[in-house]
Amino acid sequence: MTAARRCPWAWPSELRRAGVLGMNWRNANIILPGNPRAHYPRVDDKLLTKRICELYGIPVPQTYAVIGFPGDIRRFDEAVRERRDFVVKPAKGAEGRGIIVVLDHDEMTFTTASGERIELPDIRYHLETILSGLYSLGGQPDRAIVEQRIVRHPAFEKIAVGGTPDIRIILYRCVPVMAMVRLPTRASRGRANLHQGAVAAAIHLRTGRTFGGVCHDRAISVHPDTGAPIAGLEVPRWNDLLTAAMKLADGLELTYTGVDFVLDAQLGPVVLEANARPGLAIQIANRRGLRPRLELVAAQSSGSLTVQRRFELVAALADMD
Amino acid sequence: MNVRRIAPRIAGTLAVLGVAAVGARLYTRHTAQVPHGDSAWRITYTLRFHAAKAGARIQVAVPGDPPQARLFRQDVRHAGLESERTHRTRWQTREIGLIAPQAGDYTLTARFDLHLSPRAQWRAPVPGAALSAEARADSLRSTRMIQADDPLVRQTLDHLRRGLPAKGELLQRVFDFCSNEIHPGDDKAPADAAGAIRQKTAAAVGRARAMAALCRAAKLPALLVTGFVAQETETFAPHTWVEVHNGARWEPYDPVNGFARALPHHFVPARRDGAEIVHATDITNLHAAYDLIALPPEPKALRAGHRKPWVILDLTRLPLEMHDVLAVILLMPLGALVTVLFRTVIGMRTYGTFPPTLIALSFIYNDWRAGLLTFAIVLALGLSSRALLDRLKLLLVPRLSVVLTLVVLCIIFAISLLDYLHLTPSAQAVLLPMVILTMMVERFYLTAEEDSPAFATQLLGATILVAACCYLVLRWTTVGHFVLAFPEVHLFTIAALILLGRYAGYRLTELWRFRDLAAPDKKGTP
Repeated sequence: MTAARRCPWAWPSELRRAGVLGMNWRNANIILPGNPRAHYPRVDDKLLTKRICELYGIPVPQTYAVIGFPGDIRRFDEAVRERRDFVVKPAKGAEGRGIIVVLDHDEMTFTTASGERIELPDIRYHLETILSGLYSLGGQPDRAIVEQRIVRHPAFEKIAVGGTPDIRIILYRCVPVMAMVRLPTRASRGRANLHQGAVAAAIHLRTGRTFGGVCHDRAISVHPDTGAPIAGLEVPRWNDLLTAAMKLADGLELTYTGVDFVLDAQLGPVVLEANARPGLAIQIANRRGLRPRLELVAAQSSGSLTVQRRFELVAALADMD
Repeated sequence: MNVRRIAPRIAGTLAVLGVAAVGARLYTRHTAQVPHGDSAWRITYTLRFHAAKAGARIQVAVPGDPPQARLFRQDVRHAGLESERTHRTRWQTREIGLIAPQAGDYTLTARFDLHLSPRAQWRAPVPGAALSAEARADSLRSTRMIQADDPLVRQTLDHLRRGLPAKGELLQRVFDFCSNEIHPGDDKAPADAAGAIRQKTAAAVGRARAMAALCRAAKLPALLVTGFVAQETETFAPHTWVEVHNGARWEPYDPVNGFARALPHHFVPARRDGAEIVHATDITNLHAAYDLIALPPEPKALRAGHRKPWVILDLTRLPLEMHDVLAVILLMPLGALVTVLFRTVIGMRTYGTFPPTLIALSFIYNDWRAGLLTFAIVLALGLSSRALLDRLKLLLVPRLSVVLTLVVLCIIFAISLLDYLHLTPSAQAVLLPMVILTMMVERFYLTAEEDSPAFATQLLGATILVAACCYLVLRWTTVGHFVLAFPEVHLFTIAALILLGRYAGYRLTELWRFRDLAAPDKKGTP
C-alpha cells in the first residue's frame, strides 16, 4: 500500500483527480437519465433476466422449477427428487438474500453448502417466506426458483472460502468498462457480497488477469482468511465472458449495468443476474475511478457498436493509465 | 434543454416567485383596512403565587371564544414553570396548565390579544346537541356556593313559580328576581346563592350564583361562566354570568347587567362552569391582577373577520389553538430537507427515508426523555420477542402483526407506568409511532441477521441522529410561526430540494470510503 497519508480522508479534489465516480453522480447523471424505470424488471426479476439470456444464447443455470403459489410447493418435492444438488432462490431477491444451496439430500434432510442440515418442513417454510416477499425488493409477493447448482470452477479453488466466487462486469453503453471477481470469506458467510465482508480482486479487462483488491472498502492484496495473494489469477474463457456480458447488455437496454457471472466447471461462464444500480467499490478494487472510462466510452460511441469495435474499446480502456 | 441546466433555472424561478409572494403579502397587510365597528383589546393576567410543593399546578383559563371574539395572539411568560400543552376542559374552556418543578414563589404573566367584531362569526355556535347525562347531572348539582337544595332556595322558587304554567316564563321570573330584587352589594356582601337570596344583597358573583341555584332547583341545567367585559372601566376584573340550557342550546343571562338570552359582543367568556379564571392545586398566596387595554387598530389581525375568499391564503386567521399544530406541520418540509442533507450530502444510511422525521414529529408532542426511554424499551422488547418469534417460523405478515401487537402493549403499559410514577405531566407523553417502530424492529433484526449486529446498530444510531436533528428543526416554533405567516417560503424549500436533487458531488462519507483512491497505488496495476 501507499505510504502513510497525512489525512484520514480524501479531499474532493483528490477524488476528482482520480476520476472516482460518486453515488450522487452515478444516480443523477448516469442511472436516472440512462436506465429507464420500465426496463428495471428485466434485472430485478431473475426469471426475466434468464429469459433474455436464453433469447441471446447466453448460458444460465438450468431451471428445475418455478414456484409461484403456496399450492405449488409440492412441485418442489417432484423437482428435486431425482437431483442431488440444487439452489433455491427468490426471483426478485436482492444482495444474495434468501438463497439456499443444497449439496445433497435424502427424503427429509437437506445438507447445505455451509454444511448445515435442514429438514424438509424448514425448506417448505423458507419457500413460503420467499413467496410472501420477505426477500423481494419492496416486499412484494415473489416467486421461488429452484435451479441447477453451479459447480465451482477450479480456477479459484485456493481463494474462495465457503462459497462460489462471482465475476462482475460493469457495462456502460454496452461496453465493459470495469470488472472484478468477488470472493466469499468467512465473514461474508459464503456469500460473494462486498458489504457483507467478501473480498474482490480487480480483473484486467484485456487479459482477464486479477490484480488489486478490496475488502470492507479498503485496498487489500491478500485473502483475509487464507492469506493467499488474490492477484495474478487468470479467469478462464475471459473473452467468451465479455461477449456474453455485451450481448446481455444489448438485451437489457440499460445504459449502465452490472452483470454477474459464475464460472461453472462444465458450462464455463454462466450469468447469475444483472443489476441496474451496481455498486461503486469496484473502483477501490481496481485502484481507479470509473469516470475517465465512462467519458471515453461516451466520446467513442454513438449508436450501437459492433462486437469487434467494442473489444477495441475494451482494450483501450484497459490500457488507459 | 439539458436537465442539468433546467433544474437550477426552475429553482431560481421558484425563489423569485417566493420573494414576490412574500412581498405581495407584506403589501396587502400594509394596505388592509380595519372593518367598521371592530376593535382589538389586550387582556393581561399577572399572577403571583407560592407553590407549596413540587408539582403544584395552576390552570389558567384563556379568554376569547367564538362567535364574536377571536384570540389572535397570546404570550405567556412563566419563568421557572413547566408548561403543558393548551387543552380544553369538558366544558370547552381553553386552559393553559403550568407546573412548578419545586416549591417557591412564582410569577406568571399572560397576555391575550383579542379581536372583537359585532358581525363576525368565526365559528358556528355550538350545535344544539342534547346534553349528555353526565353533563346534565353536573349542571343540576347542588354545591357549597350554589345551594340548589337549600330550603330557602326551594321556598323562593316555589314563590316565583306560583301561578305560572310554563318553564320558559319561570326562567324569566328567576332572571328578573336576581336582576331586580337582589341588590348589588360591596365585597363583604354574600357571594353564595343562599346568602344572596336571604339578604337580598350580594356581590356580583353572588347574584349569578343565586340565579344558577334557582335554575338548578327548577331542574334547568345552569352553569356559571366567567370572563371579561371589554370596555374601559376604572377597575377591571373578571365578570361572572350564567348560562342556562333551554333544551336545545346554552343561553347566556347576566343578572348584574340585565342581559337575557344574548350578550353584547364585548362580553368575552373565559371559563365555563366556574367563577374563577385560575384554578390552583397546592398553591398559596395566589394574587391575581387583571388588566385591559385597547389596542390600536391592527389591520392584519382584524382583517380576519372578512369572509372574502382570499382570506383562505392567510393561515394566521385560523383559531390560535390550531397555530401550534399547523406550525409543526409546516416545519415538516424542513425536516425532509434535513433528511435529504443527511442522505445526499453526508451519505448517512438510515432505516427508511422518512421514519426519522416521523419519530421526531412524535417527540414534539411527547416529553422527549420519557419518549426516548420508551423508545429504547420498546426496541429492546421488540427485538427479543422477534428473536423468539423466529423459532416459530411464522409468515411475514402475521409475524409483523405479532410484533405490532407487542409494541402496542408495550407503549400502553409504559403510559400506565409513567402515570403511576407521576413521571410525566400527561400520559400522552410517550405516544410513539407504533407502525414505524414495528418496521424498525423487523429491519433491525433482519440487518443484524444478514449483515452484522454492528451494522444494524450503526444504522439505528444514524436513524436516531437524523431524528434528533429533525426534532431540533421541528421544535423551532419561531420559524414555524414565521412559515405560518408566510407559507410561500416553502417555495424556497422546494428550490433547495431541487438543487439538492441535482447535487452530483461526493458525499462526505465517500471522502472516507474512497480514501485509498486519492493517491492511486500503481503497484496495484497488473
